[in-house]
Amino acid sequence: MIADRAEDEEKWLAAGMTGLQQNAFHMHRALDSNNLRDALKYSAQMLSELRTSKLSPHKYYVLYMRAFDELRKLEMFFKEEARRGCSVIDLYELVQHAGNILPRLYLLCTVGSVYIKSKEAPAKDVLKDLVEMCRGIQHPVRGLFLRSYLSQVSRDKLPDIGSDYEGDGDTVVDAVDFVLQNFTEMNKLWVRMQHQGPAREKEKREKERSELRDLVGKNLHVLSQIEGVDLEMYKETVLPRVLEQVVNCKDEIAQFYLMECIIQVFPDEYHLQTLDVLLGACPQLQPSVDIKTVLSQLMERLSNYAASSAEVLPEFLQVEAFSKLSNAIGKVIEAQVDMPTIGVVTLYSSLLKFTLHVHPDRLDYADQVLGACVKKLSGKGKIEDNKATKQIVALLSAPLEKYNDIVTALKLSNYPRVMEYLDNETNKVMATVIIQSILKNKTQISTAEKMEALFELIKGLIKDLDGIPDDELDEDDFKEEQNSVARLIQMLSNDDPEEMFKIICTVRKHVLTGGPKRLLFTVPPLVFSSLKLVRQLQGQEENPFGDDLSTTPKKIFQLLNQTIEALSSIPVPDLALRLYLQCAEAANDCELEPVAYEFFTQAYILYEEEISDSKAQVTAIHLIIGTLQRMHVFGVENKDTLTHKATGYSAKLLKKPDQCRAVYACGHLFWVDDQENMKDGDRVLICLKRALRIANAAQQMSNAARGSTGSVTLFVEILNKYLYFFEKGNPQITVASIQSLIELITNEMQSESTTPDPATDAFFASTLRYIEFQKQKGGAVGEKYEPIKA
Amino acid sequence: MPSRRRTLLKVIILGDSGYVNKKFSNQYKATIGADFLTKEVQFEDRLFTLQIWDTAGQERFQSLGVAFYRGADCCVLVYDVNSMKSFDNLNNWREEFLIQASPSDPENFPFVVIGNKIDVDGGNSRVVSEKKARAWCASKGNIPYFETSAKEGINVEEAFQCIAKNALKSGEEEEIYLPDVIDVANSGQTRSTGCEC
Repeated sequence: MIADRAEDEEKWLAAGMTGLQQNAFHMHRALDSNNLRDALKYSAQMLSELRTSKLSPHKYYVLYMRAFDELRKLEMFFKEEARRGCSVIDLYELVQHAGNILPRLYLLCTVGSVYIKSKEAPAKDVLKDLVEMCRGIQHPVRGLFLRSYLSQVSRDKLPDIGSDYEGDGDTVVDAVDFVLQNFTEMNKLWVRMQHQGPAREKEKREKERSELRDLVGKNLHVLSQIEGVDLEMYKETVLPRVLEQVVNCKDEIAQFYLMECIIQVFPDEYHLQTLDVLLGACPQLQPSVDIKTVLSQLMERLSNYAASSAEVLPEFLQVEAFSKLSNAIGKVIEAQVDMPTIGVVTLYSSLLKFTLHVHPDRLDYADQVLGACVKKLSGKGKIEDNKATKQIVALLSAPLEKYNDIVTALKLSNYPRVMEYLDNETNKVMATVIIQSILKNKTQISTAEKMEALFELIKGLIKDLDGIPDDELDEDDFKEEQNSVARLIQMLSNDDPEEMFKIICTVRKHVLTGGPKRLLFTVPPLVFSSLKLVRQLQGQEENPFGDDLSTTPKKIFQLLNQTIEALSSIPVPDLALRLYLQCAEAANDCELEPVAYEFFTQAYILYEEEISDSKAQVTAIHLIIGTLQRMHVFGVENKDTLTHKATGYSAKLLKKPDQCRAVYACGHLFWVDDQENMKDGDRVLICLKRALRIANAAQQMSNAARGSTGSVTLFVEILNKYLYFFEKGNPQITVASIQSLIELITNEMQSESTTPDPATDAFFASTLRYIEFQKQKGGAVGEKYEPIKA
Repeated sequence: MPSRRRTLLKVIILGDSGYVNKKFSNQYKATIGADFLTKEVQFEDRLFTLQIWDTAGQERFQSLGVAFYRGADCCVLVYDVNSMKSFDNLNNWREEFLIQASPSDPENFPFVVIGNKIDVDGGNSRVVSEKKARAWCASKGNIPYFETSAKEGINVEEAFQCIAKNALKSGEEEEIYLPDVIDVANSGQTRSTGCEC
């Protein structure tokens, strides 16, 4: 059916085009031979093609455009005729002899255009005559196109201010009257379409109306282009008369479209100065009109205008734009009881953006808007509609985008109340938006109180809402969101240590409720933020009165101990061990021996009880050795205990090479460069010799198990340790011992049972080169190395 | 006597950036349909009447489509030299025009390109260089190129002169309907690709 119709339509259009072109051809010949009679005859026949009722507006437009172009040639001819002395008045009379009314009126408009141009009669009289005569066509589609033709040919001949046609009693008032009259008639034709034809064709009719709408709206555009339409005239004449037509036509489609046109075609300052009138029309529209979109468009325009320049802001204040818009919205929402949530939120979102742009200093306005929104949402429970929640996110993001500062948004008491209406998923999206804003703007949250408020807003990311873990969450999404929380915690800072401590306590309180999956992400940054505070306090004199209330490193360390303990629920012993060691080092720098010892103890317990994987053990033991080596706070007894343990752990590692490397690393525990009482050459040597024995044993094991001794890498590594301590002046490391180690390696490398290994060869060769290099340096170092024969 | 049809020219103005016949204003005002204007241009000893359909710039309301592209004698493409996007879109506009207007010889259809708003911010915000624009014009069959300032409309007149000149050159071949009017002696003449100004 539909396909048939479209096909038929194509045929009708083609037939119309052929008829039109044939007559146009004859018209051209008549024009070329200056035959006025024939020109009129063929042009009228040509225009008869526009009398069809078979075409949809779209197709009719194609035909109309073709006729329009042809009429321009006729118009040129009329101009030439007039120049040749033919009276335009006679022409104007002559064309009225055309038999059919539609061609007659097209011809009349065409001559009318030349008539006005000739200035033989006042423009206003010709325009008035034409616009009245067009009443002769009452068929909506034909009438709309005819009037559209009139509008187009008269477009540059209106007696506008500064135009050629002004003066001699012709004023801009006449121009405006003419366009308004044409507009009113066109709108009537357009609205009438709705009520013609059978009810079952409503959809088709509305589609056709929608295609025709710009013909009607065009008049408003013409009005907006008239120079003489200043604010005064817009306010007194144009807007009231346009709105009168809009309201009185009582047609939903026309009202919605024309309101949109008014908002889009006239300048911003006109809207501002006539807000009362424009908003006053809204409640008078049909209840089915989508007023929320109309108002949103208006507010969006005005927001953009406000954002364009600070100079225009006083205008907004002067007309009290905010309260007017706010009232209008309230009335609309009240009147349309069935307005869906998305409509309500869209309206408030537009109003909020408006007030943020226009009254950035009036936070109370913004809060007022949010409060009104909460009021409307209350009783509806969590919002299910996807689009509505998106609008809420837009609503809540607006203050962040405007102020680039969450702290300002935290002052809005209704902000968290709006968030309450978001479902858990969207709540998280909003929380992420908030955190991103903080990170991007490096916002400092200066008090524990504000931090508390912030965590209230982002609680969706901090813990399982409703106590139910969300199992369906994508792993990567979860990591992403928790990483952003981690970054937020990491960037906490405050110059006042007391407040910072309170902030940390607040964050800690919330973070610890997060459950094992989140702690993994949130505890490390919390620990480091706390340590940052320790560093801040370090070096400050301790309060001599021992005031319990003031923040001391000791207090922070106590808190840290408990914080890290929380990780045992996951469990992640290797992470906890690293954090304990980090704390121990900080305690060391604060000269707090018992605290540092306690952290080490915790780390050792984890090592002994929790870390059983041999790879993890190797990593852990090297971390322990490294940290312990840097400790200076320990007395002999504590130091001995911890060192003894560490060497014990080293010797008990599973793989011989791991044992060997851990044991020679322990050598460093007995030799600290900048501490004279920490240079125990004997024990260094014991470690190195023990490492050598283990390396030997490793080779033998390899020989027994595989038939080859494996590489000599361990020996070369040990040789390097020998050289290190030799250079550092350890008296126990002698030239002879180095010499014999070199020989040992050389022999081993030549032995047939040794597996050749180019990397080890290169390592050894560069070690020997280093010895040569040190020799050549001369001076004390050169002298020291001189006896070694490489 | 010069043919009437060749002194009456239909010009379509397209592009993301408005101006040409509109008074330039920072104020946002939507255009409904195409703006229709006539303009007279004197070229050599002839007076041309241009009917200009200007849809360039701003938001477009076009519920009836673009049937007015048909029968155009020239298409002016306008972009804003301060907006790369408006320049990138020239290609889309050109192609859309050729599809919708379906001229008989799309390869040689006369276009004119105008780079608009060269005076904005003293030229400091300019992002499309004249060289780049000219290179694009050259690649599309030597489209004549003009630059205009927002405030004063310099060069607009030259652009219209060029349109008239183009029409004069290519005008002889425009008769489509009924073959008996075509002058056989003229049909072999080489086609021009637009003026060189």
